[in-house]
Amino acid sequence: MHKILAVIRREFIERVRTKMFWVSAILGPIFFGALIFLPVLLATRGGSKTIVVVDGTTTDFGTRVTTALGRGRTFRATRTPAGAGVVDSLTAEVGAKRLDGFLMLSDAVLQTGAAEYRASNVSSFTAIGELEGVLRQQAVTTRLEREGVDPIIVARAQIRINLDTKKISGGKTTGESAGQSFSLAYFMGIILYMAIILYGMNVMSSVLEEKTTRIVEVLVSSLRPFQLMVGKLIGVGAVSLFQFFIWGVSARLMISQRAKLGGMSGSEEMGQVFQVPTVTAATAAIFMAYFLGGFFLYSAMFATVGAISSNEQEARQAQTPVTLMLVVAFISMFAMLNDPGSTYSVVLSLIPFTSPIAMPVRWAAGSLPFSEVAVSLAVLLVSIVGVTWVASRIYRVGILMTGKRPNIREIVRWVRAA
Amino acid sequence: MSASILVVDRVTKRFTGHTAVDSLSLTVPAGVIYGLLGPNGAGKTTTIRMIMNIIVPDEGRVQLFGGGGTGRDHSVRIGYLPEERGLYPKMRVLDVLTFLGETKGVGRRQARGKANEWLERLGLGDWKLRKVSDLSKGMQQKVQFISTILHDPDLLILDEPFSGLDPVNSEIMRETVLDLRRRGKTILFSTHIMEQAEKLCDQLCIIAHGKLLVAGSLAEVQARHGGRHVTVAFDGDQGSAAQVFADRRLVANAQDFGQYAELELAAGADAQEILRALVGSGARLARFEMVAPSLNKIFVDLVGHEGARAEARPEPEAVRA
Repeated sequence: MHKILAVIRREFIERVRTKMFWVSAILGPIFFGALIFLPVLLATRGGSKTIVVVDGTTTDFGTRVTTALGRGRTFRATRTPAGAGVVDSLTAEVGAKRLDGFLMLSDAVLQTGAAEYRASNVSSFTAIGELEGVLRQQAVTTRLEREGVDPIIVARAQIRINLDTKKISGGKTTGESAGQSFSLAYFMGIILYMAIILYGMNVMSSVLEEKTTRIVEVLVSSLRPFQLMVGKLIGVGAVSLFQFFIWGVSARLMISQRAKLGGMSGSEEMGQVFQVPTVTAATAAIFMAYFLGGFFLYSAMFATVGAISSNEQEARQAQTPVTLMLVVAFISMFAMLNDPGSTYSVVLSLIPFTSPIAMPVRWAAGSLPFSEVAVSLAVLLVSIVGVTWVASRIYRVGILMTGKRPNIREIVRWVRAA
Repeated sequence: MSASILVVDRVTKRFTGHTAVDSLSLTVPAGVIYGLLGPNGAGKTTTIRMIMNIIVPDEGRVQLFGGGGTGRDHSVRIGYLPEERGLYPKMRVLDVLTFLGETKGVGRRQARGKANEWLERLGLGDWKLRKVSDLSKGMQQKVQFISTILHDPDLLILDEPFSGLDPVNSEIMRETVLDLRRRGKTILFSTHIMEQAEKLCDQLCIIAHGKLLVAGSLAEVQARHGGRHVTVAFDGDQGSAAQVFADRRLVANAQDFGQYAELELAAGADAQEILRALVGSGARLARFEMVAPSLNKIFVDLVGHEGARAEARPEPEAVRA
């Protein structure tokens, strides 16, 4: 036991001492912070569009629309009466990037609802959405007034709809919106994928280092290969937990200071726009359980890959089948987010090689019965024991081998050998 | 057998295609320097790995310190220096030594203290906080050697300890081995260089193709294998020495050069008897010398030139457990 402890401590201290560790400890949160804040920042910044309303109506409808657009944040609108050459000169303005676009209105709007918007960018959902909303509202109001409805009643009938979505989890309504669920599941998937690969590779290169420097022979003269491998897994695992701890603390700080951070970036509403998904204790526990499960499962395999390879190039080739299994889970993430209850999603979250990503993603995306999680965890646990057993038998022989990489038949023989 | 620190009992190890060690038995008494000699590919490293329980014998058993337990169980009492050496290049010297001490079962603080002590003794005190990769090859060899003896083992197992050493480290190695023997420790080392073995070993064995050819003290081995030659030089008067040379009970073959003769002893004859007979014959002797053949000669005679030739090492096979 003392010997395993020595191996664990060495792995931990030597890794935490490296520059790489602290670079990723500091850059990690910055990277994720940027991932979270940048889109919001860009969305709010890019919102203000200068447009011209080309008023070809015979009523005050054009004026009304222009005023209504000016009340929103998205547009700065000015009115121009329609006339000969106006469209051509405005098109030239848009082409010269002095103008974002122009809206052409005629009396037909109030008859058939037809209007035309020409702009350099017509793909912004929020901009087009707001434009349509304003037009519809003004058209309805004007038509009602024309039918003799009291403008005061029309004004009173106006109501702004704000659809709020809440997720039901474990029979309780949470404060989590659909968007928050999605982004939580998405981020968890990315972090799990990256962390399992990253730390699995760490285990692999550690095995390879001991093998290529030949120190392994001294080590196995006093340690059982199994002790060495397990000590390595736990040591690197502890490093990853420490890394997560640092990330967790800095994420907390960043979230609690997000209003200030938003203020610094010049956008006072950012704190409101970006709502932090609530990470419940259960979600955190699921995340950690599957991270550790996935880490041990994959690291045992990565350790084996290191043991049967003689150098970095060989190891890079040999690790492809291992990594591919995790990639399958990763690229299935969107399908699972779309329909967390589909057969495909359920199967992926039961297979131990994909469940470490699949299950937390499904859990975050939609609530799951606890029994399903329990079965998946049990399968994962049994697989870890099985895979570690097989891996340690290959490892035991592999670490002392030099020269040609063994083929599958030889590896099978090692596993069978007493 | 209580004085035997290591007993290898009819140990056999087969790898696919060949038998690396074939029913080999050795007994290493406590407090000696024991040489495990043999040409390349004779099975020395495989034998040592089985002693260390790095690989498991197919047949036979290894007994350490007169009791049960494998090399790993006794790791705190054994210092092992494999033929292929290495350290963690990115670790600090002191940390590597502490860690290796710990894996052998020494407490962390004690391992650190001993490492410091040895680094100072071998002149590496200023380097202890440097990375291993910053050290020269000779310094790394010293660190490697410290890691082997840091925990003050009772049994030292060295696989080709002198190979690749520079002359300075070779000398340190030799002195330390002798010093450990003086302090009652036991050293088993393998080598294919007979001159080293001849100078250092109290006891030795020669193996080839995984089989034991001869074992015993250097004198025993020499006596048993061709150590039966005497040269005689006369100081003028030969007396009736010719009669002694002709006595087939004493001398199997004699080459008489007049003032000088080379004798091969008859089976069962004692050189002292010839000396007495010569003195009794009235000859005046300038020199009477029992000529021990060099270990190298015995080795070549036993193993044969073919066996002594460096055999290609079937490396991937040699480690298959």
